Formats: sequence, C-alpha cells, structure tokens
Amino acid sequence: MFSIEVIIDAITFSNLIIALAIGLTLTYMTLKVPNFAHGDTAVIGIYTAYTLTIMLGIHPYASMPIAFLLGGALSIITYILVYRVIGQKGGSITTLMIASIAVEVIIRSSLHIYADIMPKITSTFFRGFTFSKYDFSISIGEATLPGVLIVSTLTITGIVVSLYLFLTRTKFGTAMRATIENPSLASTLGVDVEKVYLVSWFLAGGLAALSGIFLAFQIPSDPESGWGLLLRVFAASVLGGLDNIFGAVLGGAVIGFSEILGIYLLSKPPIGLSPAYRPAIPYLMFILVLLFAPKGITSINLKKLIGGEEKK
Amino acid sequence: MIDILRIIVDFTAFYSIYLMLSVSLNLEYGYTGIPNFGKVMFFAGGAFTVGAIAGRMLAPLAGIDLSKLDYCMKNVYVGSLVSRYLAQHAGLALAVFIALVIAGSLVGAFLGWLASYPSIRLREDYLGMTLVVSGELLRIVSLNYDPLICGTFGAKTPNPFSFLSGFAMDVTRSAFMFTIAMLTWLIVGRLVKSPFGRLLKAIRDEEEAAEALGKDVVKVRMKVLMLGSAIAGAAGALYAFYLGIVHPSDYAPLRTFIVWVMVIIGGAGNNLGAAVGALIYLFVDRTLAIAKTYMPALPFDLNYLTYVFLGIILILVLIFKPEGLIPESLEVREEIREEASQ
Repeated sequence: MFSIEVIIDAITFSNLIIALAIGLTLTYMTLKVPNFAHGDTAVIGIYTAYTLTIMLGIHPYASMPIAFLLGGALSIITYILVYRVIGQKGGSITTLMIASIAVEVIIRSSLHIYADIMPKITSTFFRGFTFSKYDFSISIGEATLPGVLIVSTLTITGIVVSLYLFLTRTKFGTAMRATIENPSLASTLGVDVEKVYLVSWFLAGGLAALSGIFLAFQIPSDPESGWGLLLRVFAASVLGGLDNIFGAVLGGAVIGFSEILGIYLLSKPPIGLSPAYRPAIPYLMFILVLLFAPKGITSINLKKLIGGEEKK
Repeated sequence: MIDILRIIVDFTAFYSIYLMLSVSLNLEYGYTGIPNFGKVMFFAGGAFTVGAIAGRMLAPLAGIDLSKLDYCMKNVYVGSLVSRYLAQHAGLALAVFIALVIAGSLVGAFLGWLASYPSIRLREDYLGMTLVVSGELLRIVSLNYDPLICGTFGAKTPNPFSFLSGFAMDVTRSAFMFTIAMLTWLIVGRLVKSPFGRLLKAIRDEEEAAEALGKDVVKVRMKVLMLGSAIAGAAGALYAFYLGIVHPSDYAPLRTFIVWVMVIIGGAGNNLGAAVGALIYLFVDRTLAIAKTYMPALPFDLNYLTYVFLGIILILVLIFKPEGLIPESLEVREEIREEASQ
C-alpha cells in the first residue's frame, strides 16, 4: 500500500513535528500561552546550520549542538524580555499571545533580511536550499535508508527518553512537574519557579532549532518555513492535550504520519488531489480535534501510563 | 499639486479599508475579548467573493461566452471587457458594486459563523489558534482551487467606476469607500454605547457573572464574531475592487498582524482608538512607501525592516502602555459626562 520511501518520509517528518510539539508543550505549560515564534526558532536552527556549512564547511549534523544553544538562548531572551515582563505586569493570556505574534513577526522578518543580505556576502542563495546533498545513506538489502531518517530517529528517541528520565528520576525534574501542576504551591514548597521556567524555555527553543535542521534535509527551506511548521505543531500539541509532553509525542506522530500518508493516498487516483493541499491535512485535523476532543485524545490514557495519577 | 491630491485620495481609499478592519477587530477584541488572530480570513472571504463572482457574472452581459474560453487563463482580458461594458452602464455598475460589497460581508459573516462553531466555547488560546489555522486553510484552498479565484493566477475584478476616468474616478471611488467606512464606524460606535455594548464589556471582563445573570455568552460572542467578520468581508470586497485583482498571496497572516498593531496602538475597547490607530499605521506605512522611492538601494527589502519595527513597537506598547494611545477609560469618562449634562 505504501512504498518504503513514503514510510521513511513519514517517520522523518513525524520526528520533526514531535520535537517541536514537545517544545511547544513545554512552554505552554509554563505560561499557558501558545508560543507563535516556535516555528521560527526551528528556522533559526536551519539558518545557523546553513551559514556554518557555507562559510566554514561544517556539516549540518555537526552544527546541531550550536543550533541547540543558539535557539535556547534566543528563546530565553524572548522569555525574559517579553513574556516575563508582560506576565509580571498582569498581562492576560491574549496580551501574551499578541506579544508572541509580534516576536514571531520580528524573527521572521529578521530572517528575511538575513536571507536578503547574505547572498551578497557569500554569493550563494539563502532561500530554497536543502541539505540533502550533505546527507549520507545506508543500504539494507533492497532499501536505502537516508541518513536523516537514522539521525532524527536516534535524536528524538534520545530526547524523549532523557526527558522522561529527567522529569521522573531527578530532583529538578520533579520540581518541574510540580511547578507545572501548581506554580504557587511549588513556590511555597521552596521550588525555584523562575529557574524551572527558564529551563523550560531554553529546552524548548534549543530543541526547536536543533530539529529544524532535519526539515532542511527533506524540503527546501526559507524564512517562511517556520510559519507552516508552527500550525502543524499547534495541531500536534492540541491533539496531545497541550499539558503533557508525552501527549505531544503521540500528537506529533499522528499529525506527521497523517499528513504524509494522507496526501500520498489522496493524490493518487481515484481522488487525484493536488499535492499542494498537503498542509490542509494537519489543519483540518486540528479543527476536528477541537470539535470532537478539545482536551486532546491522549491526555487521559497517557497520564495513567506515566503515573501522573499518583499526584492526585 | 495634483500629486498631493492624488496621494490624499489614495490614502483615503486605504484608510477606509483599514478603518473597517480595525473597527471590526476592536469590536471583537477590544469590547468582547475575542482574540481574532484570523482576521485576514474574513477579509479574504469578502475579496474572494468579488474575485470569484464579478467577472464570471458580468461576462455574458459583455457578450463573452465563458464556455468557449478558459476563464482563468483569460480573466484579465474578460475583466477589461467587462469594465468597458460597465463604463456604458453606470447604474448597473454601481448596483453591482454595492451588491458585491454586501455579498462580501455576507460571506464574511458566514465564515465567522463557521469559524466560531468549533471554537467559540473554548478558552482564548485555543480560539486564537483555531482562527489562525482556519485562515491558512482558506488560503491553501484559494491558492490551489482554480474555480474560486484562479489560484496563483489571481482573478481580475472589473472596475465599477469605469464610467468615469482619471482623477474624477479616483475621487469618486475613494468617496464611496470612505462613506461606507465612516458609516460602519458610526454604527459600531452607537452599538457599543448601547446596552448591547455594555453586555459585551461584561462578557469580556466578567464572563461568569454575565452568565450567572442569564446572558447567553456563547451566542453573544458568536454574534459579535459574525458581525466583525461581516465588516471585514465588506472591507475585503472594497479592497478587491480597489486593487482590480484578487490574488491569494495578498491575504497572508501578516495582514492580521497589522490590524492588531492598529488596535493595540490606538487603544483597545474604544472606537476612537481604532480610528486613530489605523490612521497612525497608515501614515507611517504610506510615508515609508513614498520615502522608499527616494532612498538609495538597501541590500534588503525595506518592508521587512518595517515589520521588525512594528513588532518592537507593538511589544513596547504592550509593556509600557497596554491601554494604547486613547485609553478606554477616557471614553467611559466622556460617556459619564454626557449623561450628567443631560
């Protein structure tokens, strides 16, 4: 029914959406605000890797740690300069959302300026590029596995496992969960709530920038790529319940697979839909989730699975 | 001299469109607390209505058999023939203009109803996200579904003022647009001062209390979103006629952002603020557009720098002057004074 290429595509794409949905959920849990700049942080990662490749010849995979640090730093800066200030002044959720959209516009437009200027310095194009020529591949029998499939799967698995261990086995992770559940109670019990928030925003931004690199291995990227990603990540996170990192993992997988497999099926006869409708699939799913399961289809079951029930 | 007049006439046309958008967002967000982050969808709805209907509807009158040609490939040609036909029939042209602006607002209202359906009961964050996503959904469809507005070709809209020419046409068109915008502004101004307006503020500030007093909060919010979207749809129809072409890429989410900038800078929750905010934005925007032609070539597109600055200004206003230039309380004080003097 599906060729191996389509499955590979679906897994790779899902990995990206999962990483972004984890980050979006993390920041959502701190301030209860969907971070509209999350997709653009991923694009920051892409441009970091691309610049390093063009200027210094560093392989995109090798830039992942640098992208992580840069994305994390940027995320923390926006949190400190914008969201925390507005939050402390008693700004409502809507005010924070407006600010978040403003941050999104600033980052996206700055990336456009960067993409306008850089070609004049490096005489290479800075829009519509991919990393696919830098990728390696492994042949197993008949199938050829692209490197990005292996790297992204290993990275995302590693991140999910270490996040799980971090949240459940370390003292700080427990403090983090407590803060997310009830910030004022956690604060009374001596948890440094501010530190928890900073760590959350850093992790979210870092993860986004790091995993953005995977996107450029699959499809041509430009400063607008982040916006389309963001809306898919909204869909994945809402599907996951927006209050649960492991829900985000499941939501990301469902959205990623539905989009790739869905458009593959729909673009074939008898329907023959144009592949350009591809983004419509996650967007429609988002609306369907709100209609039929606004709290996310996963939150209840998964909470039991990871032992979230004990807290009650 | 005529240059300055031309700039003013042009400015009036743009201002009419942005005034309607900012008034509608202010009604939704400022008075009722609905975070409409999908404003562009309703604006596009009105514009697409004109783009999809006008040329096709009038082509047979102008003697063109649409079944014999590919409308999308030839829509610029059809559009100019239709404009030429309308030039001979001023009454019909104006009737079409008014009818399509009304149709645009009806489509806007319908989209408002549709968008509110899954989301209006939800919290503001979910509502905001849904409206953004719905807007993008409409854009994807319009880009790829040619029977609507010919996808990436865009659809030419006939000029209903072609019975006039040159400067007289521009002035008449701007006058029509400005009249519609002012009427909208005045009507919304009256509406928000009526008991219904007080109900909106009650819903915004104390949703539970309004509910406890037996008000159907969901229904009222739905009505407001539909009304706001109807205004945005009418603005979209005006914009489509003004530009003479409807192209999907013109209805990107950045337009929503601009309307938010106007409402926040002007001052949310008061009708004067919406008008002032739109005026300030448009003044800056047009000045930059004119200045750009005199400036030495920059190594990047100046528009992006403008957006960076708008974003920074918006954040600064949210932090240091969240009530905007014209705070809501001023308007309320004015009302109290009026009542006292009666």
